[in-house]
Amino acid sequence: MGLGRNAGAAVLILSSLAGGDKHGYALVKDVEEFAGVHLPPGTLYQVLARLESRGLIIALKADNRRRPYRMTAQGATVLAEYFTAQRRILKTGQARLKRSWTLA
Amino acid sequence: MDTGVNIDFDDTRRATRLLRWYPVAWRERYGEEFLDHLEQEFAERPHDRRRSVNVAYKGLVARVADVGLSSSTVGTEDRTRAALGTSFVLSVLASIITLNFWSRAMGLWSARKFHPIPVSATAGILTVATAFLMVVLIAMVVTVILYALRQAVHGRARPLLWPSIFAVVSGALLLYSVRWLPRMLERYSHMFQGGVRWTHLGSTIYAFSQITWVLTQQWVQLWGQASTSTPTAMIVVNDLVPVALLVFGVSIASLVRRVELPRISARLGMATVALLGALIGVFVLTYLVWLTAGGPMGTHYFVPEGSLAGVIYLIFLALIAILIGRSGLLARRFERTPQVTSKENTRPV
Repeated sequence: MGLGRNAGAAVLILSSLAGGDKHGYALVKDVEEFAGVHLPPGTLYQVLARLESRGLIIALKADNRRRPYRMTAQGATVLAEYFTAQRRILKTGQARLKRSWTLA
Repeated sequence: MDTGVNIDFDDTRRATRLLRWYPVAWRERYGEEFLDHLEQEFAERPHDRRRSVNVAYKGLVARVADVGLSSSTVGTEDRTRAALGTSFVLSVLASIITLNFWSRAMGLWSARKFHPIPVSATAGILTVATAFLMVVLIAMVVTVILYALRQAVHGRARPLLWPSIFAVVSGALLLYSVRWLPRMLERYSHMFQGGVRWTHLGSTIYAFSQITWVLTQQWVQLWGQASTSTPTAMIVVNDLVPVALLVFGVSIASLVRRVELPRISARLGMATVALLGALIGVFVLTYLVWLTAGGPMGTHYFVPEGSLAGVIYLIFLALIAILIGRSGLLARRFERTPQVTSKENTRPV
């Protein structure tokens, strides 16, 4: 199972949740901190809803109006697979770039 | 994580306004936390046009998903009902055009001295597709009304109130606009000296096509020129019919989503969506064959106001068939996707 559309935002959210449970606003702040990307609220909740429906995250009991989210085992697996694939692309791209640069 | 931001009343109002872009089901699930999130964003960055556009856009995307036209996170039964409701609205709009196109095809077929096989075959398929479409739509309306009444009798009518009011008002306008139908039926049953023999299928179908032609032409020619002798009140009523039809379709679709239907209807709903999409698809393809097989007999009869309008209406019909097919496929896919609730998966990582 891949991450589908908006994989970028999904990876950022899952990566943030890999560090612990967070509610929406805390997620945005964390992503801003480690990736320098601000997730707009519409995009954030669209991706949260999709990840939840696919069982990659679960919503915990709401604390007042804030509902924390937690990454599931399946979510961790999907994220790990995504990183493995990205590492392969990164390695290939870097190697080719290095070769081209040397040739040039 | 304490964000330490102050929320004021204006922010709450703004956030509530933005939340209205989202459908009810979405608001029920994410509304509270989304409001809280927005209020914190407002407190930190009061004005951000891109944020408002993002919320509005994603809200519209959620609404499209809510009516079953794209992937959504609502429950399986809701998905089937959403697809069924959307298919109904689209099919009601399509039914006027299909009736009008079929009437013209039948009129031209009857005017022929020679009946080439492809023209006869396509006219026959158009007749069957149109008849089935009308039967399915009427059956849906009757079923929804019966179950809505049953629910009302059991004292659970509250969620059905507004859609029912809209359905009754728009339905009344539609009935008022066709109040001359009984007289028309009577007139046609006396034509051809001795009247149409209603026991003879061919002449009955032809008589019906003449009636549906008169009936639909005024609506298909959207906001067309009315004759000078037509009373203003009637022009207004006729011009309102397409709007009333849309309101009626949306009201019934809304009832489809709210009325308590038996469990078997989820499967039946999927079959109905597939049938509606297939019937409209078959109609469009057959009409194209009818056109190329010489059905219009070299006339400029390519309804309703010249070729361009005809092409637009055909594209509209094709689009409707595609949208219905898509909503059905999405609902089916969602129904087949196992819902992730296993204990293993909810284990914290």
